[in-house]
Amino acid sequence: MAFLTLEKLTKKFGTHLAVDGLSLEVEKGEFIALLGPSGCGKTTTLQMIAGFVDPTAGAIRLEGRDLLAIKPAKRGLGIVFQSYALFPHMTVAENVAFGLEMQGVVAAERTKRVAETLDLVGLGAFAVRFPRQMSGGQQQRVALARALVIRPSILLLDEPLSNLDAKLREEMQIELRQIQRTVSTTTILVTHDQAEAMALSDRIVVMNQGRAEQIGPPHEAYERPATPFVANFLGKTNLVNGTTVRPEKISFGTSGLAGKVRTRIFQGNHWLYQVDTDGGLVTVIRQNTGEAMPTEGAAVHLVWQSSPPPSSGEVPAGRRGS
Amino acid sequence: MSKNGPLALAYHTLFVAFMLAPILVVCWVAFTPEGFLSFPTDNWSLRWFYAIARYPEFVSAFWRSLWLGALSSAIAVGVSVPAALAIARYRFPGREAMTALFMSPLMIPHIVLGIAFLRFFTQIGIGGTFVGLVLAHIVIVLPFALRLTLASAIGLDRAIEHAAVSLGASEWVVLRRITLPLVLPGLASGWALAFINSFDEVTMTVFIAAPGTETLPVRMFLYIQDNIDPLVTSVSACVIAITVAALVVMDRAYGLEKLLVGRGVDGR
Repeated sequence: MAFLTLEKLTKKFGTHLAVDGLSLEVEKGEFIALLGPSGCGKTTTLQMIAGFVDPTAGAIRLEGRDLLAIKPAKRGLGIVFQSYALFPHMTVAENVAFGLEMQGVVAAERTKRVAETLDLVGLGAFAVRFPRQMSGGQQQRVALARALVIRPSILLLDEPLSNLDAKLREEMQIELRQIQRTVSTTTILVTHDQAEAMALSDRIVVMNQGRAEQIGPPHEAYERPATPFVANFLGKTNLVNGTTVRPEKISFGTSGLAGKVRTRIFQGNHWLYQVDTDGGLVTVIRQNTGEAMPTEGAAVHLVWQSSPPPSSGEVPAGRRGS
Repeated sequence: MSKNGPLALAYHTLFVAFMLAPILVVCWVAFTPEGFLSFPTDNWSLRWFYAIARYPEFVSAFWRSLWLGALSSAIAVGVSVPAALAIARYRFPGREAMTALFMSPLMIPHIVLGIAFLRFFTQIGIGGTFVGLVLAHIVIVLPFALRLTLASAIGLDRAIEHAAVSLGASEWVVLRRITLPLVLPGLASGWALAFINSFDEVTMTVFIAAPGTETLPVRMFLYIQDNIDPLVTSVSACVIAITVAALVVMDRAYGLEKLLVGRGVDGR
């Protein structure tokens, strides 16, 4: 039996269906990303697992037990909020110790575990600071330590990196992944950033209008998207003569679809092209290998290996959304 | 910081003068040796300050005002906390009506309240008592206490409380360890504003205070009805001095801006 099971989970706000019969099975230790645009129901799903929102219908089971029958304070889940939600009137150590205190862990043990967890997130030297004296990235780590120190059965991350700048976000992604591997806590991440979801998770749940459009490993979802929505949401796509092609799969050849380069943008590790063809405007991404590349206005031919079109029959059963 | 032009400077100077002049005039007159309100005065004397000692009822009225303000403001703040949390968080039937009711003492002239309380308190047998004064003052300072408590309750990030719940805190623990400490700056500001309003109140209190339960403003008001000597100016000067001293101490200890604007502990 799966570790965490969502069964036809549904939430209605008035007449609006925020989450529409979402079913999902999560294995122990797995890292799952709920990915989708704002309003797709991913945060509502997380809040139902946390217990801050009551589902209209459906069930949530943790190791076979009915999670909905348990009060939010007794669920033993670790949550990292988008705003970090640190206690501003407590020091870092007091923030992290709060959950242990609530569990009645004795002071000596508490001190030891707080120190261990702060070391894990690389903040061993910051125990006596207040949150307002720390940077966004550091506050983020405190929030993570506070959630992890209680050894939660599930770690819930609500857009945890969206308030950080791009460079820091990338560093934190790597670190978050390593920490999750170290503690091997089952993790559910809510994000609207497809790069973040793909970088971190074992499986992605692509959500749209309250439903799961596809559930599967990031690579599979990217290469074989179940629906046009998934294809578009996970990355740039071209629709050429009825087939969908990722821009990085197209190369310049001597024969093939004829076209003319409209714009060429240099982006360091790759070139981004917009090419006018008979089949419409085509986006092409070419790796920067240092070689000379076609310039703007040049006549080119586009070639690509025909990959399977976005079909609905290709995704293995059980990995699909409802 | 941008620089002020000459016109703006002149305007600010006039404005400050307009605000401060009455206070300075009162303090000046308090030092007159004459037996009447003489301004400007040529000679200086502490005569009217010594005179306060002959009127112990002024001193006891001062202490009564202090206690009355502190107590009624504290109770008003205590009542405001649950009301503010409910109004800030929930949408329930009667929410607007309740808010309007709590704010209504601001709308009703104090003289009307005074007459109403006089009649009501006499009927239930607490006319002219300190308890009556406290009850009446709670009503008039409640809008000030609630306004500032509400502002800090609205500014509270609910995710902080959710975080505490997810870590295993019961509702009571969340209130005591998280919510109350976070709204505390708002409560302190609400209390301070309520206290100032209570200490200052005369229009309503003059109806419900009896000899022996007079507040300082009431005592002064009654005194100037019968006397024209400068005793009230020396009493005023003392109150002004105490107020200035209290402001300086609070500014050093806590920061006046924090106290009066209700800024949170983390600067938000």
